Amino acid sequence: MPQLNPAPWFAILVFSWLVFLTVIPPKVLGHTFTNEPTSQSTEKAKPEPWNWPWH
Amino acid sequence: MTLSFFDQFMSPTYLGIPLIAVALTLPWILFPTPSTRWLNNRLITLQGWFINRFTQQLLLPLNLGGHKWAVLLTSLMLFLITLNMLGLLPYTFTPTTQLSLNMGLAVPLWLATVIIGMRNQPTAALGHLLPEGTPVPLIPVLIIIETISLFIRPLALGVRLTANLTAGHLLIQLIATAAFVLMPIMPTVAILTSIVLFLLTLLEIAVAMIQAYVFVLLLSLYLQENV
Repeated sequence: MPQLNPAPWFAILVFSWLVFLTVIPPKVLGHTFTNEPTSQSTEKAKPEPWNWPWH
Repeated sequence: MTLSFFDQFMSPTYLGIPLIAVALTLPWILFPTPSTRWLNNRLITLQGWFINRFTQQLLLPLNLGGHKWAVLLTSLMLFLITLNMLGLLPYTFTPTTQLSLNMGLAVPLWLATVIIGMRNQPTAALGHLLPEGTPVPLIPVLIIIETISLFIRPLALGVRLTANLTAGHLLIQLIATAAFVLMPIMPTVAILTSIVLFLLTLLEIAVAMIQAYVFVLLLSLYLQENV
């Protein structure tokens, strides 16, 4: 059964790991994700008036 | 005749180029590198969604020490699932049916998890060789059994993937040949065989995805024991 033949096993090992480590991880790391949108609060913010203390 | 069914697993060479190299190099053009913009095209969005959800699901049971493996495990998943799925296309060569490739992936990754365990927490790593609450007379036997099961893991990991894909491809070819041969003799049976072939193809698509996932999942479980 040819699929069990280990023949060029070292070449296959080196080449598969070369592809696995150099090609795919940069593509995986290239993905960026935005945060989930948060809903705005229904309560209106009440800004307290503030002034310089010397006025 | 009997052996010709296995010819599909032979690693072919064309014009002096081993086609396993081509089969390992070219599929990645299906995964374009995303731009730095927030919005990409549909394909990249879909792949990004898969990468995000998969990584999150896989790392959920692992503690923080294992999260360094996120890129490696997700890359491995993409690697295996892409090769398995593309191998189901007619007239393609599937590198993941080759035992040497699967063992070449399984052994170093398994060894890495074991070495991490033995370096960072030797007591806990060796403690996995004896399940808690074992009756005293069983202890020596159980340690031997657990040691064997530890060392057989990379073999099982590699052989599982090879055997599943090989069996699937063989079965598809057998049933397809049967349908083809039966067509002029017994058309009704041939049509029924074709229906079975279609259902089997669906099953093999599922198997291609499941086996890639199982490989990565088992690796993450071995890692979980050792971080």
